[in-house]
Amino acid sequence: MITDFPNSPLPLPNPADLDDELAALGGGEIIPKAMRRTLFPVITKEDVFNLMLAQRQAPEKVVADFAEAYRAYVGAGYALPTASGTSSLHMALVGAGVQPGDEVIVPAFTFIATAQAVVAAHAVPVFVDIDPVTYCMDPAAAAAAITDRTRALMPVHVHGLPADVPALRALADRHGIALVEDASHAHSAKIGDRVAGSLGDAAGQSLMADKNFPLGGEGGIAFFAQEESYERAVTYLARHGIDYGMSWVAAAFGSSQLKRLPYYDEIRARNATLLGEALDETGLFTPPHVPDGHVHAYNMYRITLHPEAVGLEDLPVYAVKEAVHELLVAEGVPAREWQNTPIPCHLPFRNRDGFGNGYPFSLNPGAVRDHRPEDFPVTLGMLDSTLVLCRELRSPVEYERILRYADAFRKVARRPDAIRKLVEDRDYVRPYEKAARLG
Amino acid sequence: MELFDTATVLTRVLTSGVVMSIEKSDRELPGLERLLTKKTGRSKAVLLNSRTGAIHAALAGQGIGHGDSVALAEPDAETSAFLAWLGVNVTSYDGPAAYDHIALDPANADRLGELAAGATAPALVVDLTGLGFGPAAAVLTDDPRLWARAERLKIFGAYDLRTMWTQEEADAELVPGVQFNYRLSPLVAACVRMALTQAARPAATSGATQS
Repeated sequence: MITDFPNSPLPLPNPADLDDELAALGGGEIIPKAMRRTLFPVITKEDVFNLMLAQRQAPEKVVADFAEAYRAYVGAGYALPTASGTSSLHMALVGAGVQPGDEVIVPAFTFIATAQAVVAAHAVPVFVDIDPVTYCMDPAAAAAAITDRTRALMPVHVHGLPADVPALRALADRHGIALVEDASHAHSAKIGDRVAGSLGDAAGQSLMADKNFPLGGEGGIAFFAQEESYERAVTYLARHGIDYGMSWVAAAFGSSQLKRLPYYDEIRARNATLLGEALDETGLFTPPHVPDGHVHAYNMYRITLHPEAVGLEDLPVYAVKEAVHELLVAEGVPAREWQNTPIPCHLPFRNRDGFGNGYPFSLNPGAVRDHRPEDFPVTLGMLDSTLVLCRELRSPVEYERILRYADAFRKVARRPDAIRKLVEDRDYVRPYEKAARLG
Repeated sequence: MELFDTATVLTRVLTSGVVMSIEKSDRELPGLERLLTKKTGRSKAVLLNSRTGAIHAALAGQGIGHGDSVALAEPDAETSAFLAWLGVNVTSYDGPAAYDHIALDPANADRLGELAAGATAPALVVDLTGLGFGPAAAVLTDDPRLWARAERLKIFGAYDLRTMWTQEEADAELVPGVQFNYRLSPLVAACVRMALTQAARPAATSGATQS
């Protein structure tokens, strides 16, 4: 199977590479161009065989078997397989009782689908800032945004780290509103022994092929704690004639991949630890913070920069980040921003056309705000000072690759002089002053 | 489609390693788009993960949204419910229809071209679910603006992994208000393409029966 192997093996790191000149300045690259491709998802002969077997079963059974197997893995009460992560979030909100014109509190830092799912439910997203350490929804900010029309809190387990569910649960209970998880990054993530997707009243999760747990192309799943919520979602689909059905082809692939998910989780956790230890040694970089009792799924790996640790505190942190980004990419590490603007400042939430003619925002004008990036200072601070590894940490990144990533960060951190020179030579701007992203 | 043929297609796509719809190297979705445009005579195709997604795209592609009215020829109860959910009113059965609708299954898949020839609306919704690989549909059109808007509706603003993030490449008028992920899986697209190709294949005499 050509899908099982990269084109060529990546050699183990050579300590001498760290003393080489930076690749951006003419030195050797830590990961040569021909060896940079990361294969994902991994497709094995078992996956092919299981899809062949699925042909001989009733399509509804293939989808139902997948949903039941994954529901049991997550430990949720009820599961509704869907065609996408967005549709799963929509169904989670509906199941939780969100009605047209209701307000749903979402974090300003997430993928835009979180907030678009609220609009899909004919409700209005109310954006709040994030916690400066976990980058998930700040419970205090959420508390301050609650009104009489708030129906749900919708934290995102962003990048795979569970949000502060205990605090948010207490807040939701205090106000008699629902807690709906966006667990799209958080396959196998946990708080204690409980898996993301089973922590709230309802949850939605993307299962697209770029997630830690991929289906055969596109897919999603909604989870519900109570049967009543599940039934509400199912009835909603029927009443409105909406087809959010999952293909049996995608479901069969998912059933096969589910058997290897714990294996991939372990590899990802090992790689995250290896990289984290290396970053901690650099001073310039720190790995994602993981609160006690939380298990991070590392769908993405967000790295924070500390310019003051290498004598660059006089430079704007966003400029240091841009320079570091440039140097890392030259070394062969595909570091990214992922997002560069708070979601409420993306065009669909500035225009607020919704389904057309301003609906559903027109149902609740009091919840609508004209946001500026500065309204979310913690999100802006995070965007200024962090970089993210996306697909590159997804399972199973080779051992040799993660060691070389670590070396690339070490190599760049040793060269504050080169970072300073780049900042002086370039005309870097803050992330949100570049193209505001649609996604 | 015979099980063996489905198995062959699924194996071919899985072995390629590309099963994600927004992967730049995916060849299955463009392949199905080409086949559908060729068979229907329309210049543009939008692939979606359901019939209702295609109806939404056909309307949003024409700028028809909540509170607007359209002409449609007797939508069934399920479609009426979906249009009501979109907030679109059906006010007349007489005017030019907003979209035409064809549902394909193994019995009529070979007649797609003929069925499409009778359609006159700006958008043609083709439901591919009946071919047996799960919910799947397409919108066919000759209107590049309709096509572009419909594409944006299903992928959070742009066309692929490379461009989906940056506003610099976007046309402000194409930015959708509400966005759904209506993307179709390349695996499903590959199977649908095989079914449509076989449906059009002339009946061949088996070698075993030739004298």
